[in-house]
Amino acid sequence: MSTLKMQQSGLPEGLEDLLGSKGLLTGEAAQEYGRDFMGEVDNAPLAVLRPETTEQVAEALRICTEHGLSVVPQGGRTGLTGAGVPTRPNHEVILCLGRMNKVRWLDEKNHAMAVDAGCILADVQKAAADANRLFPLSYGAEGSCQIGGSISTNAGGTAVLRYGNTRDLILGLEVVLADGTVLDMMRALRKDNTGIDLKQLFIGSEGILGVVTGAVLKLYPAVAERECALLAFPSLPAVMQSFAIARESTNDRLSAFEMMPQNGITLACERVPDVVDPVEGDYPWYALLEVSASKQGSGLQEMLEGLIERLMEEGLVLDGTVSNSESQRAQLWRIREALVEAHNDMPHLLKHDVSVPISDMADFIETATDKVQEIAPDAMLIAFGHVGDGNVHFNICHDENNPNGSLATRKKEVTRAVYDLVQDYRGSFSAEHGVGSMKRDALRRYRSESEIAVMEKLKKALDPQGLLNPGKVL
Amino acid sequence: MKVLVAVKRVIDAYVKVRVKSDGSGVETANVKMSMNPFCEIAVEEAVRLKEQGIASEVVVVSCGPQVNQETIRTALAMGADRGILVQSDEELQPLGIAKLLKSVVEKEQPDLVLLGKQAVDNDFNQTGQMLSALLGWSQGTFASKIEQQDGKLRVTREIDGGLETLDLATPTIVTADLRLNEPRYASLPNIMKAKKKPIETIEAEELGLDIAPRLKVLNVSEPPARQAGVRVESIADLVDKLKNEAKVI
Repeated sequence: MSTLKMQQSGLPEGLEDLLGSKGLLTGEAAQEYGRDFMGEVDNAPLAVLRPETTEQVAEALRICTEHGLSVVPQGGRTGLTGAGVPTRPNHEVILCLGRMNKVRWLDEKNHAMAVDAGCILADVQKAAADANRLFPLSYGAEGSCQIGGSISTNAGGTAVLRYGNTRDLILGLEVVLADGTVLDMMRALRKDNTGIDLKQLFIGSEGILGVVTGAVLKLYPAVAERECALLAFPSLPAVMQSFAIARESTNDRLSAFEMMPQNGITLACERVPDVVDPVEGDYPWYALLEVSASKQGSGLQEMLEGLIERLMEEGLVLDGTVSNSESQRAQLWRIREALVEAHNDMPHLLKHDVSVPISDMADFIETATDKVQEIAPDAMLIAFGHVGDGNVHFNICHDENNPNGSLATRKKEVTRAVYDLVQDYRGSFSAEHGVGSMKRDALRRYRSESEIAVMEKLKKALDPQGLLNPGKVL
Repeated sequence: MKVLVAVKRVIDAYVKVRVKSDGSGVETANVKMSMNPFCEIAVEEAVRLKEQGIASEVVVVSCGPQVNQETIRTALAMGADRGILVQSDEELQPLGIAKLLKSVVEKEQPDLVLLGKQAVDNDFNQTGQMLSALLGWSQGTFASKIEQQDGKLRVTREIDGGLETLDLATPTIVTADLRLNEPRYASLPNIMKAKKKPIETIEAEELGLDIAPRLKVLNVSEPPARQAGVRVESIADLVDKLKNEAKVI
């Protein structure tokens, strides 16, 4: 590519010298990087920068800042709020971390590993497993999302109950600021009270304050034994009451509690191949419960069976199954994953990723269901997810036979009603999906002026020209 | 018809198996164990035969240490009626197990003995056949279908050239192949009921059989690690590598 062409496309000259032809994509090759996972955003970038080292990231950011060019940091492009794609076509460059995909080191004794930001989450999990360690972060996109994206969005997933969000799994961080300054905070320490814990600013702030290029991750002993059960419940309060009892009586071994509604499971069985509902009867609510331990023979099976016996005696659980092999366990988890796939392409799908205090969960879902049904009586509600974390994916859509249902014109009204109710419970309108470009209005509406003001001051201090991921969060 | 099903406890098929550093075997400490998947298929078939009214009782037997009771309990939760543990802490090989099973067969007098075609831990694929020889009974191995036909069992076998159908007079021995059925999930009420079903323990020693291992493992090693692929710059490069490095063209 000639220098002249680059200047025509509005790109500063130094970038190609810095990154080489593999490290710089323009035109058609760059286009797909502007499209998000759900296909809701499609804004072609000016170019895609694909650096291989932290130094290249720093130099590229310095050049872009010098030329007043906006930069969108990008991981595996699996986000659900448009945080990793441009907001304007042909206006921004994408900084894709995908070629920085090395495990830097793994220290078994310190239960820690250092990785580049572009490592795929599943590869990180595998590297830890090969060393007989567990990196617990796990969610649907793990086969494509990058750890840098998980960090920038403080991703949650199915292991939050036991191990916390991404934030809880980060010991150290390496960040490049808009002006090219490298913040090396790659300390593998569990205790480090030395001034303001700067790394926290970059976890979950969706790339508006700096670009994450590396991280030291917290590891745990590998799981050697686990028991997984699918439970069927008569009602929502029974689900939440069972969760409370499970939490109390499983000796801190509870590692997942994922709620699923009957209609979601039916859809998964109908629309996704090889998914089978293992429970014979029909019940309104189900939950996938898992207990795990790092040692075999720790009595998990007896503990789980004792718990289930009690829940059945109290009439909280009506039926279900316990997996008797890892293959059956994988198939039970497949239902949970397929539930999402099964309704991702349903007409007028509205995704609400909300959280409320766990004690209010059943009450919230029931009230929210009533409110949505008042506005869109023909809508289909699929409420599922990490209720053990107080997080429910309160999704609403129409079935395939009703593409012109009431949601077609009432989406905003429905979302407003759901979020207003969340606010009444002092909950969050975005529990784990972040704000991105899609929930900025909600942030303004539901967070206080003083909170927003502090966020803006931080942004101004670290990125005075406003070039990092513009149009996101704030 | 009374059915006896033999089940084996093995390293879970989904677990990554690690070889012991001294090459004497594979690591079994702190490793998830489950019922051998082919045994699970055999249990499922026995329970289905009972549900169809063909079998009157399903007895499940396992040979090995005390902890094999868990595997028997899994089969009971799937629908078997009672269990027998032939307890031994010694290493058991197919011939030894076939001998132990023979003595259980003589005691229980089943019309059909169902086994998995092989166990996924050592892949012997011998126990069913050896039991058949020791008892002098007929055998239908690698079954993908079992039906009752004029008082006999019609067994469809998966063989290299296609499918073979045998009519077997009882008593007989059938080993289960992968496509025989899809094992069920035990329901919670059945898991609870299984806790109350009886498991009888027989000490292997007291049967006075020679079950000592006849095979000696000399060494166990990992398969060679697969080399990572390389990206070639051109078709000429690729052809060169295929010719001179891989030597396949």
